[in-house]
Amino acid sequence: MRHVVLPLILIAELVLFSLADEQSFATWSEWSEHFRYYLTDLLSQSAPLLFLALGMTMVMTTAGIDLSIGSSVTLVAAIMANFSAGPSFWWFAVPTGLLAAIGLGTANGALVALCDIPPIIATLGTMILFRGLCYVVLGDQELAPFWDVPGYAWCGEWPGAVILAVVGILLGGTYLKRSRWYRELTVVGGNRVAARYAGIAVNSRLIQTYAMMGFVTFFAALCFTARNGSVNAGMLSGLELEVIVAVVLGGTKVEGGFSSIFGSMWGVFIIGVMNEGLRNLAWQSQQLPFELSHLRFLLIGLLLIFGVWLNSTPSTK
Amino acid sequence: MSKSLRQRLMFLIVANAACLAAIYGLLREGSSFSLVLRRAGSEVAPVMLAGLGLTSVIVCGAIDLSIGSILAVSGTLFACLAFRGVAPLWCWLACFGLCGGLSLVNGYAVRWLKLPAIIITLGGLAIYRGLALILASLAASGLGESLAVQDEAYHAPGKRYAGWILFLGIVSAVIWERCGKRPRLWRAIGCSREVCRLNGVDPGRILQSAFFVQGIYLGLASLVYVTRLQVIEPARLGRHFELDVIGAIVLGGTNIFGGEGSVWGTILGASLLYEIGELLVYAGVNPYYQDVIRGGLILLVIGIDCALHRSHKMLEELA
Repeated sequence: MRHVVLPLILIAELVLFSLADEQSFATWSEWSEHFRYYLTDLLSQSAPLLFLALGMTMVMTTAGIDLSIGSSVTLVAAIMANFSAGPSFWWFAVPTGLLAAIGLGTANGALVALCDIPPIIATLGTMILFRGLCYVVLGDQELAPFWDVPGYAWCGEWPGAVILAVVGILLGGTYLKRSRWYRELTVVGGNRVAARYAGIAVNSRLIQTYAMMGFVTFFAALCFTARNGSVNAGMLSGLELEVIVAVVLGGTKVEGGFSSIFGSMWGVFIIGVMNEGLRNLAWQSQQLPFELSHLRFLLIGLLLIFGVWLNSTPSTK
Repeated sequence: MSKSLRQRLMFLIVANAACLAAIYGLLREGSSFSLVLRRAGSEVAPVMLAGLGLTSVIVCGAIDLSIGSILAVSGTLFACLAFRGVAPLWCWLACFGLCGGLSLVNGYAVRWLKLPAIIITLGGLAIYRGLALILASLAASGLGESLAVQDEAYHAPGKRYAGWILFLGIVSAVIWERCGKRPRLWRAIGCSREVCRLNGVDPGRILQSAFFVQGIYLGLASLVYVTRLQVIEPARLGRHFELDVIGAIVLGGTNIFGGEGSVWGTILGASLLYEIGELLVYAGVNPYYQDVIRGGLILLVIGIDCALHRSHKMLEELA
């Protein structure tokens, strides 16, 4: 059922939004021009989501969840923003950001694995903790050193985020799909006790998973800052929900033990097209009685429940 | 009441007393301690009332993450009605009723869709926030991001009667937990849904009643919370409210997985959290650090709690 539903949603979105769009597609060259522009835009907007969805698929495979990613991406970006722009940014800020990201992920992992806090509660707590740290690091200011770093935002004529996302996802996804490590995560999510009896070190796998989530958080922060160029302490709240919806729509089970990296990528594109379309619509039509960006909350929530429901119906089992 | 829960209550009483003593010690010349205590009633009322309600849901083994957003919707409705000049009583009733209604909707969704409560209410967290924003721009367009409620007549429950509403809520919850049959059934389905079902008790209905009771207390909480504010911002109202409430409940010794808990714990936990916040203010801690310290403290307590419960959970798993 999912193989039908996901493409259908995506096609429906595309048709709906292109109907509302006033672009003309009379000739082939016009169409291909528009298509290329749209695809680049979509990819660079969704690049952080792609990375985070990859990480979230891992976490949800182990029957966990990570709500703190929005705050951690902001925190990592905030830490990097405190360094001065210029070539030295690559040697100081980027490694510091990477270390911080892995540290944040490991902290989550330690809370989940060692203290045995339910992941949703632990990461809800760290979400607020990390957000508080963002305010400690940045205060009320907005820093924007990123576009002054050579080779950061643009890599030749392509946006750096797009190249990073495509390469990272292809390599990471293919490796994970075939790796023993990832299969062990699935076993841990399916049945912890069985995994322990099968000789899998459950706790260290869990910590590694959350540390890995931190690792991809770093890449998401890179993609995000490369596109936006600036960071303030209050941004990206609500990002976690978009990522979770994408992963859940892709077929990964919230209860763990079943996941699909490929499906998560589909989910990201559904969310990405929706965001893009709503943004375009809001740009074109000002006469609506409410802002379309508010509608997004509603759609995200409904898609989450729909996705989980889809995963729980017997026909997909 | 189990031994660990009794120990937790004793710890909370001591910690509360210690915090109060520390605040007393930090008070400057000219500010009176009784004034601090009197103000505390109305300040702690929203978290405590919502906590009394959410305790019943958590004891059942479910959870409601959407309470902050429900607060936002009902607050926005209240402000919109007040903006239109509707009489205060109707505004209060609408606010209270909407909270109860949305909580019931959560209950029905959990019962009929047969999905984990945590997912349904995570979806609800987004949906209700969106509803609040749309409602605000539909009903009071042109006012921008915030709705002001200036007339003092609308502020009565939050500013004048908050202490009494809280008192009523506490008394009713404590008496009901001591004498009622429902709270026992909630604990029962929190321990094992399957055993309840085999005993002829319908877990779905019991859980639904917990959400209903939560709706009533949440309605009171929102009434107190919303009417205290001069300006209502739908995008910000009640953000992170759920973590405060869940923190208070877990601090109070209620097992986050259900099956064990007491409203006394929630009452003491909520007041301890409030006192810690006040202590940070009186100690002159930088406001940017206050969130970090409070978040870290809540996590620490929840972490210790879960780590303590871990030993016999592992045994259960390997049995």
